[in-house]
Amino acid sequence: MTQAEWLNLGWQSLRSAWLSIRGHGLRSLLTMLGIIIGVAAVVTVVAMMNGLSAGIRSQLDDLGSDMTTIRAMTTPEQQMLGIQHKLTEADVELLRAKVPAIADLTVAMPAFSFGLSVVYGRKSTQSQLIGADSAYQKVIRIYPAQGRFINKNDDLKRRRVVFIGPSLIKKLNLPAKPVGQFILLSGDWFRIIGVGETRGSLFGLDQDNYLITPFSTVKAMNGPDQLQVEISYQAKAGVDDNMLQQQIRQLLRQRAHLAADAPEHIEFITAEKTREQFGKVLNSVTTVAAAVVGVSLLVGGIGVMNIMWVSVTERTREIGIVKALGASPAFILWQFLLEAVALSLAGGLIGLALGTGIAWLLSSMLALGDSPLLPWWAGALALGFTSCIGIVFGLAPALKAARLEPVEALRYE
Amino acid sequence: MPSTNPVIAMQQIGKTYPLADGVYQALQQIDLTIERNEYVAIIGPSGSGKSTLLNLLGCLDQPSHGVYRIGDERVDQLDANALAQVRNRHIGFIFQSFQLLPRLTVLQNVLQPLLYRVMPQREREARAMHLLSRVGLADKAQHRPNQLSGGQRQRVAIARALVTEPALLLGDEPTGNLDSKTTAQVMELFDELHQQGQTIVLVTHEQEIAEHCQRVVRLVDGQIYSDIRQHGSNQA
Repeated sequence: MTQAEWLNLGWQSLRSAWLSIRGHGLRSLLTMLGIIIGVAAVVTVVAMMNGLSAGIRSQLDDLGSDMTTIRAMTTPEQQMLGIQHKLTEADVELLRAKVPAIADLTVAMPAFSFGLSVVYGRKSTQSQLIGADSAYQKVIRIYPAQGRFINKNDDLKRRRVVFIGPSLIKKLNLPAKPVGQFILLSGDWFRIIGVGETRGSLFGLDQDNYLITPFSTVKAMNGPDQLQVEISYQAKAGVDDNMLQQQIRQLLRQRAHLAADAPEHIEFITAEKTREQFGKVLNSVTTVAAAVVGVSLLVGGIGVMNIMWVSVTERTREIGIVKALGASPAFILWQFLLEAVALSLAGGLIGLALGTGIAWLLSSMLALGDSPLLPWWAGALALGFTSCIGIVFGLAPALKAARLEPVEALRYE
Repeated sequence: MPSTNPVIAMQQIGKTYPLADGVYQALQQIDLTIERNEYVAIIGPSGSGKSTLLNLLGCLDQPSHGVYRIGDERVDQLDANALAQVRNRHIGFIFQSFQLLPRLTVLQNVLQPLLYRVMPQREREARAMHLLSRVGLADKAQHRPNQLSGGQRQRVAIARALVTEPALLLGDEPTGNLDSKTTAQVMELFDELHQQGQTIVLVTHEQEIAEHCQRVVRLVDGQIYSDIRQHGSNQA
C-alpha cells in the first residue's frame, strides 16, 4: 500500500471507531470504567507518593544533614530475650572524653514517652517533652520565632523553663506572645522562654506540638534512673564519617561489655541514611501499588475485550456489508483495533484526570504538606500502558472481525 | 479496462464444499463470458448454484478450480486483501435485503465504498450526491435508511453500487423484497442503466425480471443448462 492509502486507512478506521464509540455512549463508558479506575488509582498513588517524597526530601534536607544521631537499638528478638539496650549519660561522657574527632556533641532525652499533660489556665492538652541541651537546636533545626532556645545556663542551673511548639499556643489558649507565661508540666510550673517556627504537618502528624526543656531539668524530674538518651554529634572538618562511626561503635560496645560476635546495639542515623530508608519504603510502596494497578488494568482490559467481542458479533452483518463494498481485512482489523485502543485510551485519559483530582483532594484533606506532583513520565506511561491494553485485548476480537467470511457475514441475522 | 476484453471471463470454474462424507459439488465446469454492456439474468431453481456463482462473480468467494478474469486481471488466486480491492474497484453489489448500514445517513451509505479509496472527502460527497440525484433521492441524503420505503432503500443501494463506477453491477434478487409497483420502478432503473452502457448481471428466480434481460443463463445442478440471448426484450 502507498503512504496515502495507509493514511486513508488510518483516518477512516479512526473515524469509524469514533462513530461506534459515540453510538454506544453509555456502554462505552461502562467498558472504560475498569480502565478509568485502574489508571485513577495508579495516578493517585504516584502523585501522592511523589508529592510526599518531594515534601519529605525537603524536610530531610532541613534535618541537619551534617549531624549524626546515635540511638540504642534493640531488635524484637532481643526484646523477647529480655535484652534492652540503652545509651546513657555515661556513654555521653565517654564520647566527650575519648573521641577528639567530635566537634560538637549534644544530648537529648525523650521524657514520658507516652505523652504528657500540659496545663495552662483551664486548658490542658497532650504534648511530647524532650530534654535537651542548647546544641540540640542544630540537630532538629528548630529556630525560635519568639524568645530564645534553651541555653547553657538553663541546663547548668536546671531551670524550669520551656521552649514550646507553636501549635501549643492555640491548644492551650495561650496569648499570641506567650513568652514569660507559666505552664504546668507534671506538677511543676515552667516558664515559657521561646516559641519555635511553624513546621506544619507530615503524614497528618502535627510537627509543632512539642516541649523542650533543659536536659538537666528532665533528668531531675525523672529521678535517679539510668535514662535512655539520644546522642547527636557533628564531626570535625576533614574527619571520615565511617572511621568515626567505627571508633564510636567500638567504644560503646566495650562499655556495654558486648562479645565480639554480638549484634549491633546502636544505630547511626544520618540524613543520608534516613533518605535511603525512605527511598526503600517508597520503592516498596510503589511496587505494591504497581502490582495492584496491574491487576486492575488487567480486569479493565478484559472488560474491553468482552465488549469488543460483543461489538464484533453484533456488527457481523455490517462487517459483511463493508467487506462486499471493498473494505479489506486489514481495514477491518485496524478499525476494531483502533476502537479498542480508543476505548482504553479514553479510559486512561479520564482516569488520569480523575486520579489527579483525587490526589489533590486527598492531599489537601490529609494535610500532607506538599501538593501532589504527577511527573510527566507517569502520565505518559499510564496512557502508553492503556494503549497497549487496548492493542493486546482488542487484537483477538479485531482478528475475528477481519477474518469473517463476507458471504457468511452477509447472511448473519 | 480495454474494451477488447470481455468484462468477465470464467473458464472451467468449479466450487466444492467439504462435507462429512466427501465433497459437495456446488458448481462444475462453468464457462461464462460476459461482454461489455451485456444485461444478463442468471436463473435456476434453488440449490442450482445461483448464489454460489454470484459469490464467485462478485469475488466474495474463491473458486476451487478454474480461471477467472475480470478485465485482464486474474482474480481466482488472490488473497483476501486483494480480493477486497477487486470488489471495490470492479463490482457494484445490490442485495435482496438492501444491506444498507443502519447507523449512517443515506449520503454516508452511498459514499461508503469510496472511503476505501484515496480521495478528498468533498469529492466523495459530490460523487455520492450525483448518484443520489440520478436515482431521484437527492432530497433524502440526510435521512436514515429506516426512514425510507423499500423501493427507496433499494435505489439508495443502487446509487451506492454505482458510485465506484464498477465494471459490473451485480444484483442478487434485487426485487425480491419489493412489491410489484416498486419492482417495476427498480427494473426501469436497471433498464436505463443498461441503455447508458452499464454491464449488469442479475441473479433471480423471477421470470418477469429475466425477461428484462438480453441474455438468460439457466443453471441446473451446478452446471450451465442453457445460455440464451433474447434480442430486443430490453425495450419491453
